[in-house]
Amino acid sequence: MTTYRLQVNGKRHAVDTDPDTPLLYVLRNDLALNGAKFGCGLGQCGSCTVIMDGKPVMSCLVPVSSIGTRAVRTVEGLGGSDKPGVLQQAFIDEQAAQCGYCIAGMIMQASALLEKTPAPTDAQIRAHMSPNLCRCGTHMRILRAVRRAADVLVKGEKR
Amino acid sequence: MDQTRRRRHTGWWLLLAAIVILTGIAFAIMWRPALAPQATPPSFDQARIERGANLAHLGMCASCHTADLARPFAGGKPMETPFGTVHSTNITPDADTGIGAWSPDAFTRAMREGVSRDGHLLYPAFPYNHYVRMTQDDIDDLYAYFMTRSPIAAPAPANEMTFPFGFRPLVGFWNVLYLIDAPWRPDPRQSAEWNRGAYLADAVAHCAACHTPRTKLGGPDIQRQLDGGEAEDWYAPALNATSPSPLPWTREELQAYLRTGMAEDHAVAGGPMQDVVMHLAQADEGDVAALAAWTHSHLSQAPLRATPAQRDGALPEPAADDPELPRMRLGYALYASSCARCHDVGRAPSSGTALPLQKAIALYDPDPRSLIHIVDTGILPPDGEAGRWMPGFKAILSDEHAGALAAYLRKYGAGQPAWPQLDQQVSKARAP
Repeated sequence: MTTYRLQVNGKRHAVDTDPDTPLLYVLRNDLALNGAKFGCGLGQCGSCTVIMDGKPVMSCLVPVSSIGTRAVRTVEGLGGSDKPGVLQQAFIDEQAAQCGYCIAGMIMQASALLEKTPAPTDAQIRAHMSPNLCRCGTHMRILRAVRRAADVLVKGEKR
Repeated sequence: MDQTRRRRHTGWWLLLAAIVILTGIAFAIMWRPALAPQATPPSFDQARIERGANLAHLGMCASCHTADLARPFAGGKPMETPFGTVHSTNITPDADTGIGAWSPDAFTRAMREGVSRDGHLLYPAFPYNHYVRMTQDDIDDLYAYFMTRSPIAAPAPANEMTFPFGFRPLVGFWNVLYLIDAPWRPDPRQSAEWNRGAYLADAVAHCAACHTPRTKLGGPDIQRQLDGGEAEDWYAPALNATSPSPLPWTREELQAYLRTGMAEDHAVAGGPMQDVVMHLAQADEGDVAALAAWTHSHLSQAPLRATPAQRDGALPEPAADDPELPRMRLGYALYASSCARCHDVGRAPSSGTALPLQKAIALYDPDPRSLIHIVDTGILPPDGEAGRWMPGFKAILSDEHAGALAAYLRKYGAGQPAWPQLDQQVSKARAP
């Protein structure tokens, strides 16, 4: 057991755990941030996607010992049901969730895109979202939701 | 007095003659005439077009000439070379921006001599030094295929060459050194299939363009045929007795690899080889079998080696007396938490599992570039295609972590001596 100091959604935490514990387990089991989901545990589905140091990562593959000082952001950091963030609202407006298991990962993957590329083309959205799988098959709605969020954000900046 | 003056005159005349002759030679090396445009392309019979399609797959033309799948063969794909960035050209039959106005002679000259219809010299990123040995019949088939594609208007973006390589006529001197215009000859001691494979590998698929090292001038190092080269900063393994492969390949494995990118005991195609596989998968099966037969005859010259690749299962923890114990421990921890769950679990590679790492050729390469690129970017299917999917770890691993992981895998996965200058190689390969 080692103590790791993590910065998650702007808050500092100290966690006692083994060095090879995946970040996903720390988020869910130690910090009660249950947005990121365990899907495959193999980096194949994307349901555990969070943002680390501005980049989307699959948190099931990140050993806690490798994080260092890099800031972690999860879907909880974007907003809650009382005050959803722009992406979250776009996913609600497009009714992009069916079972919802993949959605937290989808939203964080999309969030990483929009932070870097505020006005993505449809091809950029598709390519960027390609690591994340939805087994219900709402991919088309998910793509629309990302498009909608991008449009809202661009308009907001123009205003 | 008179005599000295005459001697001085003779000297000037000789100098002038030398300048004229040298200018003439330079002109002959660097200048090519424009060929007349053709107003309407000839018509072609369907069998010829279909043979051309197969050759286009075997030659992987789309790999460079298609930048956007929605615009096949419209070119525009940037290629980094040591001499600058070259953009592939539009080879659709568009009259203004493609090859619509090219006669069969202009097309043949481009394929054999690397000269555009208007007479400018093409950069050898276009492997005409291989196509020069293609049969005229095959060139005609390819012409028929390209002239019957949909024309797309797409001017080639300007190249960004380092001085003085923007001056295209200089390529003429490269051609003097590397463009060997001797027809391809079969080897009578070998089977018809082997000879077909040898012809395709050399004149069409241009395997040696990546798998043979290049000289400083960017030409193939003829003394070191198939000794291993590079492609887009990936190491392209040697295909002869110096192959780094830890286990001998069978012909069947090679054939399957060339068509699917997957060989259970050896490798999963990544980087530029993925593109190759995607095209060979669509080519004639007999032709790919011939390529495999030819490749196997070279690869099978590699001596048998005793390597950890004969073992199965997870990689060991570092030895307690390892002189680099902290680094190896870090590498092992990363391996155990990030790699081992898919690799080394005793299952065959498929969508959910992966190659046992002791068998992965990238660990045995003479340099760590391919391993670093696979770890960083993962293995992603080409745009819009189905295929193997390994996540990339670039956003997860720092340079220090990637270096420790590579050092650990090299030593405890492959049992090979450490890569020289590993840390520098890691940061160079990972530089944005």
